Amino acid sequence: MSKKRFNRRDFLKTLGITGAAAGAGLVLPRTILSEHAQKQIFEASTAHAAEKNGGQSYDVKPGQLDPYYGFWSGGHSGEVRIMGVPSMRQLHRIPVFCMDVGSGYGITNESKKLLKGTFVGDTHHVHGSYVNGTYDGKWLFVNDKGNNRVARIRMDYMETDAIVNIPNAQGMHGTFPQRYPKTEWVVTNTEFQVPVPNDASNKANFNKPQNYYGMHTILDAATMGIVCQIMLDENVDLAACDYQGKYSMSTSYNPEKGVTLAEYLAADSDYLIVFHWERIRAALKAGKYKTISGVRVLDGRKGSDLTLRIPVPKNPHGINISPDGKYGVCSGKVSPTCSVVELAKIDEAFAGKIKPEKCVVAQPEIGLGPLHTTFDGRGNAITSVFIDSTNVKWNLDRAVKGEKKPHVHVLDISYQVGHIMATMAETKEADGKWLVSLNKISKDRFLNVGPLKPENEQLIDLTGEKLVIVKDEPAYIEPHDVIMVRRDLVESKVKHRYNMADHPMAVHKNEIVRKGNDVIVRMTANAPVYGFQEVKVKKGNKVTFYVTNHDEITDLSHGFNISNYNVNFVVSPYQTKSVTFTADKPGVHWIYCTNFCHALHLEMRMRLIVEV
Amino acid sequence: MTGLASVVVSLVLVLVFSFDARAQGSFLEHRYPYTPNEALPGADRFVKKQGYWEGYKGNKMVGVVLLSKDWTPNLVGYAGKHLETLIGMDMAGNLTGVKVIFHAEPIVMIGLKEDNYKTFIRQYVGKNVKERVAIGSGISMDAITGATVTAVVQNSIILGSARRTALKSGLLQARKTEAPRKVSQAFTAQSWKTLLDKGAVQRITIKPEGVGLKAEAQPYLDLYFALADPPAVGRNLLGANAYEQAKAALGKRGGSILVVVSSGPGSFKGTGFVRGGIFDRFHLEQEAKSFIFRDVDYTLISEIKAAGAPPIREGGIFLIHNKDFDPADRFAFNLVLPVRVGTTGKEVKSFEQTYRIPDAYMEKAR
Repeated sequence: MSKKRFNRRDFLKTLGITGAAAGAGLVLPRTILSEHAQKQIFEASTAHAAEKNGGQSYDVKPGQLDPYYGFWSGGHSGEVRIMGVPSMRQLHRIPVFCMDVGSGYGITNESKKLLKGTFVGDTHHVHGSYVNGTYDGKWLFVNDKGNNRVARIRMDYMETDAIVNIPNAQGMHGTFPQRYPKTEWVVTNTEFQVPVPNDASNKANFNKPQNYYGMHTILDAATMGIVCQIMLDENVDLAACDYQGKYSMSTSYNPEKGVTLAEYLAADSDYLIVFHWERIRAALKAGKYKTISGVRVLDGRKGSDLTLRIPVPKNPHGINISPDGKYGVCSGKVSPTCSVVELAKIDEAFAGKIKPEKCVVAQPEIGLGPLHTTFDGRGNAITSVFIDSTNVKWNLDRAVKGEKKPHVHVLDISYQVGHIMATMAETKEADGKWLVSLNKISKDRFLNVGPLKPENEQLIDLTGEKLVIVKDEPAYIEPHDVIMVRRDLVESKVKHRYNMADHPMAVHKNEIVRKGNDVIVRMTANAPVYGFQEVKVKKGNKVTFYVTNHDEITDLSHGFNISNYNVNFVVSPYQTKSVTFTADKPGVHWIYCTNFCHALHLEMRMRLIVEV
Repeated sequence: MTGLASVVVSLVLVLVFSFDARAQGSFLEHRYPYTPNEALPGADRFVKKQGYWEGYKGNKMVGVVLLSKDWTPNLVGYAGKHLETLIGMDMAGNLTGVKVIFHAEPIVMIGLKEDNYKTFIRQYVGKNVKERVAIGSGISMDAITGATVTAVVQNSIILGSARRTALKSGLLQARKTEAPRKVSQAFTAQSWKTLLDKGAVQRITIKPEGVGLKAEAQPYLDLYFALADPPAVGRNLLGANAYEQAKAALGKRGGSILVVVSSGPGSFKGTGFVRGGIFDRFHLEQEAKSFIFRDVDYTLISEIKAAGAPPIREGGIFLIHNKDFDPADRFAFNLVLPVRVGTTGKEVKSFEQTYRIPDAYMEKAR
C-alpha cells in the first residue's frame, strides 16, 4: 500500500516539476525545496497509513439532512451548484450565466432580460453576503470570468436575480463581499489587463500593452450598480475583504504588464495590493475620478494613496484571511512559500510609518505550487499545493514565530488540487469540521466515461490532527471554488414557494388578448390542467404566454413545453414566467407539462393551433 | 321556503367549457343539489339562525342543519378546496344526514367513483358527535381506499362543523373550561428523561402486531410528541437555533409549535403530504375542533437536542396557526396508520394519546 503510494506520488512529483519547468520556459523555479525539506514533507505524507481517523462519517442516512450547504461554482458550465455536505449529494443547479433548458433559464423573457443574449459564462468564485463576519443567508455573488460579469443569487429562491456587466475590465476574477459590518460592497478583479476603455475610441492602444490596465471594481451589493473602479498598472486576480470593513486586497501576478508567458514570469517579486476603503470613499466624494464607459474610475497606480503594494514572491495566487481577522495568507504558486501578512500592520504601512514589505511577518515553505489557503479555526491553515498534489496543514503561530516548516500534516490528494475550502472557513465562525480539496484531475479515480473526465472533489475529515480523505466525489465541468455554510444560517431563509406578487404580470384570470399581430395568452397552471384547453393563433402572430403556477403545495412545479417551438420552462408554486415567439409553423402543437406534477400529469396538455 | 334551499340550488353549476380556469377545473368538480330535509329527514320546517338552521316537525324542534363552509372553511382537501358538506343532526347529537354538495377531489385518478365517495360518507349517519369518531375508529376507509387525505379532511369537516354547531345551538354542553393557564417563558436546561418524566413529552408505541405484521420485540413505531411552546420544552428539544426559527416562523400570526419524532420502520409522516400537502396520518383534536397539518407549516428535524435523547428516524416541527387552538388546554393526538390485511388488503387503524402541558411549564396560578 505505502509502496504503491510512493510510486504514484514520485511519478506525479516528477511530472509536476518537469511540467513547471517546461511551462516556465526561461525561468526554472529557483527556490524549490531543499532535499531535506522534501524528505521531511514526504515522510509526513506517507505516515498516515497508521494515523488516527478524525472519526467523522460522510454518511447521511435516507431521510436525514446534511449539516452544511455547499455552494460550488461550476466553472465554464456557467452555473452554481448546491451540494449537501458531507454527503456530497448534489441538491440543485442554479443556472447563472448559461442557458438551462430544464428550468427554461435563457428561454423565458425574464431570464433573457438577465442574460441579454450572452449565455457563455465561466463561474469561479461563489461567496455569500455577510453580517458581522458571518453569512446572513441573503445573497450569493459569483463572477463570470469569460464575459466580465458578476451575478447575484437571492438565496430565498436560490435563483439568479441580477447580473451586472463590468466595463473597462476583462478576466473577471476573485469576487469577494464586504464582511463587516455587513455586505454593502462587493469587489471583483481584472485578471487580464486591457486598454481602458476597450473600444474603438481607444484603438491607438490596442497593441500597446504598456497602456493596458487592471481594475479593482467595487459593486453596490443592494443595487448591483458599479460604485467605482480603481485603475492599476498591475493585473489583480484573487480577492479578499478583511473582517473590519477597512480593506479589500488582491494578488497580482502580472505587474510586468506582460502579454506572453515569459513576460508574466519575468519579475521575482509581485504584489499583494491592498485597497483603502475610507480613502476611496473620500476620493469619490472629492470627485477625484474620471468617468470612463459610464463608470467612475479612480487612479490607484503607484504613487496613489488608495493602494498599498506589499511585495510577495513570484506570481502569487490566493489571498485568504484567517478567521480571527489577524492574517492574510498569499499562496506562492511559482514560489513554494506562503506569505503571511499581518493585517494590523497595514495601517502603519499606509501611514508611511513602515515599509510595505514589513507587513509580511512569515514566509514558510509549504510545498511546490501553493495555490489557496483555508483555515480550521483552531490556528491552522491548510494550503492546496498543486504541483505536489497535496493538502498541507500548517500552524500559523509556528510560522509567525519563524519556523520555516510549520507543517502539521501533508496529505496526498488525487490529483492536482486547485482551490481548497473548509466549512465556514471564510467567516469568523470557522469550525474545522470538513475540508474539500477541489482537484482538477480525476484520471483513474472513477469509471471511465470517455476522454472528458470528471473533476474530483475530495472530502476530507478536518477534525483530527491529520487530514483524512473520506470520499471522492466526481464533478462535472469545472468547480473552481466553494463555500460550505452551516445549515442553520441558510435553511430558515429558503422558501418553498414564490410570492405571487413578485411578478407584475402574475396571472389571476385566464385571458387571451389580441392586439394587431400580437397575441398575449395569460394562463394559470393548476394540477393537472392549464387554464386553457386550446389556444388558436394565426401563422405569423407574435405570441406571448404568461404562465402562473397556482398550486400552493410544496414541490409541485409545472413544466411548459411547446412541441416543435423550442420552448420549455418550469414554474414552481406561485411563480410566473413568460415566453415570446413567432408562430411560424402552422399545425397543431401540443403544449404539455414536462415537470411531473400529478397522477394526471400526462393528461396535463393543451393544443396550440396555428392556423393559416 | 328556506334560504338554505336556494343557497344549495344556486350552487349547482352548469359545466360550460369556456376560457375560464374554473371551467377547466370542473373536470374534477362535483356539485349536488341536496335540500335540507335530506340531511334532517324528520323536519318539515327550517328556521334560519346564525350559521345553521333549526329544523321543526310541527312546533317541535327535532334537530339542526348546517353547511360546513360556515364552520370549517379552512379545511381543504387534496384539490385545495373545501369539501362543502350539508350536515343534519338530531337533538341528541346523532348525525341524521351527511351530504357532500361540492367537492373537487380527484378520486377518479385512483379508480374511484362518486358512488364510492357517497358510500364512505353514509357511514357518518347515526354517529354521535359527543363520541369519538375517527378514521379507523368507527369509520372505515374501505369504500375509498387510497384517498386518505380526502378521508381525513372530510372527517374533520363533518365532526368539526357538527360539534361546533352543537355547542353553539346548545345541543352539546361545553366542557367546563379550567381557569386560564399561561405558558411559562422560564427556561432551564432539562434532559430528555426529565421532559418524559414530567409529561412534557408524550409517547405512542405501536408493536408490529398492532398493524398486522409479524410480532417482533422492536416497536413498529415509537413516537414522541410535545407542544414546544414553553421554552423549557421547545429549546431543550430543538436547540436554541431551531426553536427560535420556529418561533420566528410563527410570526405575527402567532400560534403553537408541535414537535413529533419517531423511530422504527413505521412512519407518522406517510406520503400523503407529498401529493396533497396534507399530513394524513396524524391530527389533533381539542374540544369540538380538529387540527390537521399541511406541508407549508412543516420543517424537518433529524435529531432531538435534549441530553440523552434517542436517535430518531423521522421528525418534524409543525406550526399551528389556527387561533382556535389553545395550547394551555388538553388535546388528543390522533394517529391513523395503514394496517396490512393478508397480502394485498389494507385498512386503517387509529391510535390516540392525550396531552396537556404539565403545570411545571405553566405560570403559577395567581
